[in-house]
Amino acid sequence: MADDKEDGEAPNEQPAQQGMTPEQVAELQEKIKNMSPEELREFQKKQCIFCHIVSGKVQSKKIFEDDSTLAILDINPANPGHVLVLPKEHYSIMPQLSEEEIAHLFMVVKTISNGALRALAAGGVNVVVQNGIAAGQKAQHFMVHIIPRKDNDGLNFELPQKEISDEALEALRVKLAEKLGSGVKQIPLAPQRPKMKEFLQKKAELAQKGQVDVKGVSPQPDETIVEVNDDDSDMKMEKWKKPKGAPKKRSSKEDKDEISLDDIAKVLGG
Amino acid sequence: MISQKSWADDMAEQSCLLCSIIEGQVPSKKIYEDDDLVGILDFNGANPGHSFVLPKQHFTILEQVPNFLVGKMFNVANRISSAIFDVLKVHGTNLFVANGVAAGQKVAHCMVQVIPRLEKDGVNMSWSPKQLSEEEMSTVEIKLKDEIGKIGLATEVKPKGSGGEPKAAKVFSESEGEDNYLLKQVERIP
Repeated sequence: MADDKEDGEAPNEQPAQQGMTPEQVAELQEKIKNMSPEELREFQKKQCIFCHIVSGKVQSKKIFEDDSTLAILDINPANPGHVLVLPKEHYSIMPQLSEEEIAHLFMVVKTISNGALRALAAGGVNVVVQNGIAAGQKAQHFMVHIIPRKDNDGLNFELPQKEISDEALEALRVKLAEKLGSGVKQIPLAPQRPKMKEFLQKKAELAQKGQVDVKGVSPQPDETIVEVNDDDSDMKMEKWKKPKGAPKKRSSKEDKDEISLDDIAKVLGG
Repeated sequence: MISQKSWADDMAEQSCLLCSIIEGQVPSKKIYEDDDLVGILDFNGANPGHSFVLPKQHFTILEQVPNFLVGKMFNVANRISSAIFDVLKVHGTNLFVANGVAAGQKVAHCMVQVIPRLEKDGVNMSWSPKQLSEEEMSTVEIKLKDEIGKIGLATEVKPKGSGGEPKAAKVFSESEGEDNYLLKQVERIP
């Protein structure tokens, strides 16, 4: 996995694999395979440059520090002021953190994002978490990226819009809602629903006339709309509508090998 | 600032598409809901399973969201990310916040996006590094440190051993003028 690494952030490189012969790498991989989870974790910590930064063995430009969290400047920043927020404890990916740790970490993220907006007169900030190499993660230590943004700064996060059939999306929704234990039930189809455009137009018209209380306005004849939550495809939101052409249907079940969270974490560690 | 809503805030809320979705006036694919937050699927996501976590109350940018809610938002985003790993067997997930127009924010309602990832899926969540001089780095370091020192951290939310839900934390004390500066960034959103 180390071979497809882009030479992105220098501090993220794994020191154990620098300057090693293929035999040594193979030997190391064999060793890692045979480790118990506890041993593996210890091993990862020893190899992790960010753990060395946390312990102070490796120097860094610290922006913020408390008992559990450290924020440093990325030495190979996407933009000036690119900050990495790290839990001091070694984790590979976000699902390994406890709820309290996540709450605290992101409170720090919010503070730093706020600071970056003000101090650097940025026009915006991106907060990015990468779980897994497929998501662009390069370090084996979980971290949150805070990237101050300016207009035309050359950064380009691409989020293409892909078509997905309504059936597939609904099937996925049911599965995810189930998994999340939120028990969100689909509300049955209403007989007649107004078109989104008309609804928004009406809203805008009313707002223009100065009628402040337009919130509860029901778009078209019936009141049922308020409870409607279904899957008619022409109700897709304007904002998210993809320009026609080039639709690429993807099923929710890509024929990928099963892979567990542990695997994803392990890959990063090894 | 949150309790004292201005007329402008009211108007912003009323024209907000996502507020309409949260209220149920516009249909959506809900996967999660509690008192404060809603999780919905994107109709035209970057990958199937692309989701948004939205606070029910209308906030435009992350800095306006109270601390306890920020924690909750990212916890729910993390749960959705874990559920996506389990259900879709993807190889990775991104959590992404576009905060401000320059950061690519398109809707004036603060949200955390959860993006399922596969190899070569056409999504780009990485960047090429810029080289800064030692001097530039130091300048940025000092500026940021100063500003964050001024803002300070609210201390009500304890990181470890506090157990249970984090209690409602104090919102940063932000003076009117500074707020306006931050809001100016998002007022440009159509």
